[in-house]
Amino acid sequence: MSAEESLNLIAQQNRRTRRELGGGPARMLAAWALAWIIGWGFTYVTTLPGVGVPGWVAGGIVVPLLFLGAMAYSTFTSIRSGRGIRGPSRTVGAMYGYGWALSSIGLMVVDIRITQFQALSSDQVSLLWSGTWLLLTGVMYLAGGMVWQDKLMYGLGAWMIVSAALSVLVGYPANFLVLTVCGGGGFLLGAIVYFVREKTGR
Amino acid sequence: MSELPQLDPVIHAQARLRVTVALAGLRSGDQITFPRLQQLLDMTAGNLSTHLRKLEDAEYVEITKAYEHRTPVTLVRLTAAGRAAFESYTKALHQLLDATGGD
Repeated sequence: MSAEESLNLIAQQNRRTRRELGGGPARMLAAWALAWIIGWGFTYVTTLPGVGVPGWVAGGIVVPLLFLGAMAYSTFTSIRSGRGIRGPSRTVGAMYGYGWALSSIGLMVVDIRITQFQALSSDQVSLLWSGTWLLLTGVMYLAGGMVWQDKLMYGLGAWMIVSAALSVLVGYPANFLVLTVCGGGGFLLGAIVYFVREKTGR
Repeated sequence: MSELPQLDPVIHAQARLRVTVALAGLRSGDQITFPRLQQLLDMTAGNLSTHLRKLEDAEYVEITKAYEHRTPVTLVRLTAAGRAAFESYTKALHQLLDATGGD
């Protein structure tokens, strides 16, 4: 085996290993970008004057379906890539995954309860949901950035937190535009950067 | 004129090089089960065992037997020495390429 053949073999096996072990968050982020851009973009369109689609179609069907899809994809790929791996990274990955589930359920209860009081107008309720969910997303990405020492992930988290503030400042219905462009766009940008890094072997 | 570097014979064999690369792809401190490693490499169990034993003899690889839910599992990881050996091996490859293909 010549030095060149050895290096080729190393590159080949490296690609294979990286692909099988999950490689990076590019695909997962792309799935979430898709869910946010289509889901929230569609929701925003339904708020425009002259559009005959009732709001519950977006909030009750399209968004939940897209989010369930992205959640299933994320769970499936992380379990698949973690098969047969033992040790600190698996523990951290599991804790992070459960962290998402736990905090999402907690926030859901809080938001539903506040909505049920009917003290807020429907526009304000919309701001409550978009603001808190962007904030939670941001904080979880900050945590991910800290755990995996990944500056891009941390930056994405910071960006989501800025978007959370922006979404409540612009008010209803532009908050859906913030969710689509800043939230979904942030995921998309992150997915592209990770994808380019994967391709260039970084 | 510098001397050409020697390639570590433990790593410089097609199958063992691939095993080392796959194990180096794990985060340090992580272990991989034997069947998953086998799947990453497309090797037969017997073939993989043979090469793992040679890597273990060189103390590049650590093999642990454990029980999970009463099922025995074999866990493999690259040792710090193994990781260092792999790094100097790739460095030597680059030096060789520079020496022979450079000019």
